[in-house]
Amino acid sequence: MTIPAKAFQRWLQSIAPDASTADVCRVSGIKRTTLAQQMVRGKVSVTTVVSISRAYNINPVSALAGFDSFHVLAGPPRPPTRTELVSQVSTPDLLRALLVRPAMEPAQGGTAPALSPAPHPTSVKNWVDAIDDGEVRHRVSTATGVAPQNYSAQLTANRLSPELAVATAMAAGVGPAGGLVATGIITEEEAGWPSGARQAALDSLSDGDLTALAGERLQAMGKVLRRQEQDQAQTDKIWENLG
Amino acid sequence: MIETLQWSTLAICALVAAARIPSTLRGENRSLFGIFALMTLAILLSIQGPYLAIDRALGGINLANLVLRFVIFGAIFFMGIRISKGFGAEDAYKLITGRPGIVVLAAISACMLALFFMMDTNGSSAGLTGVVGTDPWNSAMLEYYGAAGRAYPAYVTLALLPAMVRAVASRLPALVRVAAGLLGFGAVATGLTLLFPLIPPSLGHIEFIINYTAVLCFVVGLALIWVAKVVNGRTAPARRKSTET
Repeated sequence: MTIPAKAFQRWLQSIAPDASTADVCRVSGIKRTTLAQQMVRGKVSVTTVVSISRAYNINPVSALAGFDSFHVLAGPPRPPTRTELVSQVSTPDLLRALLVRPAMEPAQGGTAPALSPAPHPTSVKNWVDAIDDGEVRHRVSTATGVAPQNYSAQLTANRLSPELAVATAMAAGVGPAGGLVATGIITEEEAGWPSGARQAALDSLSDGDLTALAGERLQAMGKVLRRQEQDQAQTDKIWENLG
Repeated sequence: MIETLQWSTLAICALVAAARIPSTLRGENRSLFGIFALMTLAILLSIQGPYLAIDRALGGINLANLVLRFVIFGAIFFMGIRISKGFGAEDAYKLITGRPGIVVLAAISACMLALFFMMDTNGSSAGLTGVVGTDPWNSAMLEYYGAAGRAYPAYVTLALLPAMVRAVASRLPALVRVAAGLLGFGAVATGLTLLFPLIPPSLGHIEFIINYTAVLCFVVGLALIWVAKVVNGRTAPARRKSTET
């Protein structure tokens, strides 16, 4: 599911009535061939709408909200939950925050460097895990008709289509734009997340919670790395014998 | 059509074998060159023209056909070892090189030799077509002789089949999975050769198609893995960077 070309054209008319397609592409940095192709197919991608919105100083979330499939994004932004905020802190940042906690090293006071902006390499998976009550995947799959294994495959690849991102947020009952932040389609600011919210959420975690969370992240990362190493070993064996 | 299939298969096998020469000289997986060379020889011996020339040199009693069978056995044996080792298929490796594999190979070879010398095989002809005439004893012998020749390749490739199916479904590089698919398809085709006695003589060309499909699948599959390694070698430095983080 994408945005129908007709609705897109109406929207473009309303925000830039006199601009030609070439102008729109130039200011928004979209390749003309890309847009032309999307128009011919009748499906315009969400990132196209986001890029054009930014170019014309329109909030991408409210721009998207104007389209039928994203109407749930309308209205004042809902603040993210603390777990959502923490999920958007990258693992290295999380570990650095942990290392300066007194619980880790009592003698050493200090502050961790500023957080790198969302998204991070496992932001999508971490976000879904953060809002999952155990049944979210199931509900998303029922609501969208996307098979659970396809959904999981997207998460593993740290990807989630905008439609699924919004559907997941709805199924979990959190702010609808959170998934778009986690997938990197929009920024925290555009989603209406207060600046410094992630840092504040991170700081509000107790030493115990932060340590446990870091442990979970490391464990997940270890699993992924080990699997990559196994795959690599298997591939190397094939090269060695058959290459 | 069958002629075209035969000669193009020969050309592909010879090309791949020739392409392996440089890496063989460097000492990389020499047995792969051996496999391709044996396969090329096998195809050569199954085409009427070259067969007649070689068989006449061997005395005109179709000894070349017996040679062909053992060339195929050799190619299949070494291919089975390489593939099962490469894909980490220990079960298949044991079935091929372990006691059962050696017993099967020895028994089939003994049967084949015995059957060959029990037949009257005068008069060169590729695939022994038309040699036995109408003699019922001879045609029965030929039937068994053919079956023995097909049994060992089928045994080895069917032993490899589960590993190929696993590899197709794995997270290995895409080209390797395509190659495993081809090898698996070749294994199925080789397995199907066991059913040749059920094919009516009027559909004899199906046997050719199955045989050459199998050979082509193996050669192209093995060559593809080699291509995949070369492709991987080119992209690996860039990829290593991204996984280091």
